[in-house]
Amino acid sequence: MKTFCLIALMAVTAGAAARAQSSTITAPQPLRATDIYADSMVFDGNGHTVTYHRNVRVIAPDMKLTCALLVADLPPSGGHVSRIVAETNVVIDFLDGKGQTNHATSDKAIYDYNMQGTLTNETVTLTGHASVTNAQGSWIKGEPITWDRVNNRVSAPNEQMSIKQNTSSVMGSTNSPAPKTNKPVAPKLF
Amino acid sequence: MKWSSAVLVLSAFAALIFSGARGRAQPAAASHATDFTNVEYYAQPNQTQMKSRLTGAEAQPLAGELLIIKHLKLEMFSTNGHPQAVVEAPECVYDMRNNTANSAGHLQLQSGDGKIRAEGDGFLWRQDDSFLTISNHVHTVIETGPEVNIGL
Repeated sequence: MKTFCLIALMAVTAGAAARAQSSTITAPQPLRATDIYADSMVFDGNGHTVTYHRNVRVIAPDMKLTCALLVADLPPSGGHVSRIVAETNVVIDFLDGKGQTNHATSDKAIYDYNMQGTLTNETVTLTGHASVTNAQGSWIKGEPITWDRVNNRVSAPNEQMSIKQNTSSVMGSTNSPAPKTNKPVAPKLF
Repeated sequence: MKWSSAVLVLSAFAALIFSGARGRAQPAAASHATDFTNVEYYAQPNQTQMKSRLTGAEAQPLAGELLIIKHLKLEMFSTNGHPQAVVEAPECVYDMRNNTANSAGHLQLQSGDGKIRAEGDGFLWRQDDSFLTISNHVHTVIETGPEVNIGL
């Protein structure tokens, strides 16, 4: 896994993991609600899909998504949504573990969820002009960008990255000299 | 899925309504029925399982095998009998010839477990292929547990 995978979104998913962990030891929490707005919707009772058209907005406690078309596969017997495809001008703003907003854009975003035995696979795949930018302005581009939500990793083949230093933290640091090395110091992106 | 000769259960006026509508272009508001019910069953081997049930508190005939149904309630079931979704609307026009229901008015939809709710204005329900289109101002609410995430 490349550098980005080691530093990017660890905080994001750490926050999610913390929430999951806390939910196991604390009292029952109120249900989360996700709102979906759209101009129109088609429910296919035979195909078990719901399709939202035009001006689609998904608003969850830690994420906002907009796109022009969104298709969700519904499991016939209920339970977890297995696949969601968002298409055309996909914009996702999500909170990381620090509560900072990250910004993702792509032509298409695919959420997949499945269980194979005891293993859970849960990924979000961004394709088509995909990029993720954090609150500091650092960004990653690649085709596709895959967010493995189970293993808390983001990866992209042939990735391009731009890392912006947090100058305020550098200015406010002590006078200790910077380590002499030829390797660039990679700040935390997310 | 074919709507077979879907069971149309109307109260005492039913026979008169349908014969009038088909035979002599019954004018609107000539009569009305209460407790309208239209049931569709699954094909074999689940032919004893109800696929959907469309009910209305009142049904008023129009020309062209149309019915104005008040207080529409459409229930959809899975092959094991569990409710999949419930649709409710104050009023709709039911086309007996094409097995469709539509309205420009408001509609509410709820999944069988109540965790997904949707509403909007203007809809078309095609019974033959179980398609429900909500045309305007769609709002869906999905409730999940605190540790559950629907993704994205």
